[in-house]
Amino acid sequence: MSAYAALTGAGYRAQVRDKTTLFFTFAFPLLFLVVFGLIFRGQDVEQSGLSYLSYTASGVLSWGVANAAVFGIAFTLMQWRTDDILRLIRMSPAPLSAVIGSRYALALVVGAVQSLLFVGVAMLPLFGLEPASGWPLLIPVMVLGITTFLLLGVIIGSFANTPESVAAVANFLMLPMAFLSGSFFPLDAMPDWLQKISLVMPLRYLNDAVSHALTGRGDLSDVTVGCAGLAVFAVVFGAVAVKTFRWTRSS
Amino acid sequence: MRPTPTDGPDPAPAVRVQGVSKRYGDRQAVDDVSLDIHRGEFFGLLGPNGAGKSTLVEIMEGLRQADSGSVALFGEPPWPRNTALLPRLGVQTQSSAFFVRQTAHEHLRTVAALYGVARAAVDTTLESVGLTEQRDVQVESLSGGQRQRLAIASALVHGPELIFLDEPTAALDPQARRALWEVLRALKAEGRTIVYTTHHLDEAEALCDRIAILVDGKVAVTDSPHNLVGASEAPSRLMLPLGRLDEQQAAAISGVDRVTVQGGSLVLETRTAGKVLSAVDQLTGLDGVQTRTASLEDVYLDLTARLTSAPRSPLRTAETTEHQP
Repeated sequence: MSAYAALTGAGYRAQVRDKTTLFFTFAFPLLFLVVFGLIFRGQDVEQSGLSYLSYTASGVLSWGVANAAVFGIAFTLMQWRTDDILRLIRMSPAPLSAVIGSRYALALVVGAVQSLLFVGVAMLPLFGLEPASGWPLLIPVMVLGITTFLLLGVIIGSFANTPESVAAVANFLMLPMAFLSGSFFPLDAMPDWLQKISLVMPLRYLNDAVSHALTGRGDLSDVTVGCAGLAVFAVVFGAVAVKTFRWTRSS
Repeated sequence: MRPTPTDGPDPAPAVRVQGVSKRYGDRQAVDDVSLDIHRGEFFGLLGPNGAGKSTLVEIMEGLRQADSGSVALFGEPPWPRNTALLPRLGVQTQSSAFFVRQTAHEHLRTVAALYGVARAAVDTTLESVGLTEQRDVQVESLSGGQRQRLAIASALVHGPELIFLDEPTAALDPQARRALWEVLRALKAEGRTIVYTTHHLDEAEALCDRIAILVDGKVAVTDSPHNLVGASEAPSRLMLPLGRLDEQQAAAISGVDRVTVQGGSLVLETRTAGKVLSAVDQLTGLDGVQTRTASLEDVYLDLTARLTSAPRSPLRTAETTEHQP
């Protein structure tokens, strides 16, 4: 068995055996869907004519998937470094790509299950989401989004040495980004300069792309520009991640 | 995988450290250390806490870069990460280095896969450290000693030629400790090289071909335990049942350096044990008299105390009454 397959297997077993974390990983975005759904039921977003819910559904979904990708790997790398598991892998001939690749495979599965569950619940009559015809575009968009945010998580996981610092740094980045990228509220409602700031945030591109793919908002250029933006961030985060990766606390 | 010691007429030593120094801030952790560890040798690395053992071992393993000097394992530098060399090394990590929520077998299987080793090695390695019965127990539920044995198994599963073990018997009970000694002796008999860090002097004496004692980042001495004890000036001790002689009488015997009462015995320290024994024989007979020659521990304590110029451990004198003759 290859190092990649073995690490993926061990990661999968660790994940499904931790029922609490597993449950809340999938329940978290759903919670937001329910809360926003109840608050804004029946309201429309100005001009677009789309229901507010269909707007938030895509924003909450992209934020939830990005969040899981960032936190999952950041916690794992921090914990593995603290427990000397990274040191153990460092002293074997297994390549770093096997470590990151195994976490990537797991993150893709988590993202897929999250998306299916979320869209399934949002389509219930209570919320009434009707997926747009271009919904299969969600697949490449989500894969690219998970790639980008996983690499951001690798950077956080290399800097942070405690669970508290992982949570603090990741929340510090992901929560403001959710608001400023229009995950929870339409960007149209924000001042012009804030809308411009959102352009330097990777979540903005994921939001736009998911939003067109899932609810048909905007046009196909939202998907192409979104994917291009995510790809640029992925390259930047990837380069920083390789540069800053630490096998042990002291290295 | 068996080690192959035939790399030509003069194979490189398993470990060659030349002039290695490492400084942290204003502390010289390792100070111009040079040593060779031969293939097939069981080499002990001893020294007080903070003497630089861990730093030196991590530099040997290639986990840290030395400020100056060089390290070669089988003739190859371990730094930067040398994936051609790594399968030949086995490194014991701390006993928390387990993949979470896995059974002992699953953990070891994962480690084996990191090295691309066949699964059969997992069962034999678990058996060699006595964990066959715990194979399906999750690592979080293992006892301290079992965790330690699993950590050792993780260093051995790929059959490395050069094995670094750090205090491997620390959490083991006496039976498990002796069982591990047998595992280690078997590894040595197979021709593997072992670098052993320990605080247990009896263990170093029982297992190691040679030891180096590290004090303040420098190698104070490198030799076999036998030669170290033989060359030392540490005194032998005669232990008499209490009441046989009083302390003044004992102190008056020629050749006796010091008289103490310890653990229900009158202890006579001497460097001329034969002479003192015959004197005691004439005074009270030798029934129940025990002799202890200097152990590696005495040599070690003597050496580290002199080199660190710290006062001798106060425990040794606080619990005893003393008469200086």
